[in-house]
Amino acid sequence: MSLIRTLSSRSPWLYRINAGSCNGCDVELATTACIPRYDVERLGCQYCGSPRHADIVLITGPLTARVKDKVLRLFSEIPDPKVTVAVGICPISGGIFRDSYAVCGPIDQYLPVDVNVPGCPPRPQAILEGVAKAIEIWKSRL
Amino acid sequence: MSFLKVLFRNLISGPSTDPFPFGETFTPKALRGRVVYDASKCTSCRTCEQVCIGGAIRFDNTPDGRRFLLWHDTCTFCGLCVFYCPQDALEMTTDWHLSHTQDEKFKMVEHGLMPKAACAACGAEYVAVAPTAKAFAGYEPTPEEVEELRQYCPRCRRKEAAKIAAAHPPAIAADPDTPEQGQS
Repeated sequence: MSLIRTLSSRSPWLYRINAGSCNGCDVELATTACIPRYDVERLGCQYCGSPRHADIVLITGPLTARVKDKVLRLFSEIPDPKVTVAVGICPISGGIFRDSYAVCGPIDQYLPVDVNVPGCPPRPQAILEGVAKAIEIWKSRL
Repeated sequence: MSFLKVLFRNLISGPSTDPFPFGETFTPKALRGRVVYDASKCTSCRTCEQVCIGGAIRFDNTPDGRRFLLWHDTCTFCGLCVFYCPQDALEMTTDWHLSHTQDEKFKMVEHGLMPKAACAACGAEYVAVAPTAKAFAGYEPTPEEVEELRQYCPRCRRKEAAKIAAAHPPAIAADPDTPEQGQS
């Protein structure tokens, strides 16, 4: 059991949820993962396609009314323990979309958020910094 | 055989991966990061609050004085507040280390306080904001003159500004393009 704990602490898998984002933060997330210059896989992270494989959840977007139920369902499918990272100012506070009739956020009213990465969008290094913080929390939760 | 050239070049130039978060990274000089505020320059005109897209800037009155609040968690780093600030009280830094844990969420705030004071002339209580550039129309004030005007309430400030201005020689020189009177 301790072997699994040691191994899994070195390879948290990332999962990305777009909660109605403008795609700006998603592009930065793709940059962080896919471009060798930033390369989030040095931290042992890897993007996975299924929420059931995820350890660290990256959420972008202000949680629009249209995707709210789907995001909450998707989030409930991710097994515990998990670490949630809010990327961009939209999930953190609603950003420029705050007080809109179509926006239900900020997202921490619905989900337990652990790390916030503000920016519009945050630069890839800031996302890496947030992921590094999330990994520290992830290790303490195992 | 061209791959040999690439291989050799890569051996010399090393990895292109940015060492961050294990090492130092680069920060462009023009990067728009955390906004910092200087309460001593602010005239409380609230232009920044008006132009702020994210609604990050707020002014409110407290028993101690007028308070400036900027919440980084809803700031888009657009730079409009810095652009429109007539007093250069707001400044953009290149600091992008803003990621934080959830318990620090409401601590990510830039504070500033313009304290209440008693007017040096009439004794009335007022908020000691910096004098506007309008108070020094036509000449460049010294820092002492700016500090002197700060001691007065808005009503007394006009009188004192007029006194200071009267002590200065008229700085606006005669426009050479306008024809002198009596010649035309």
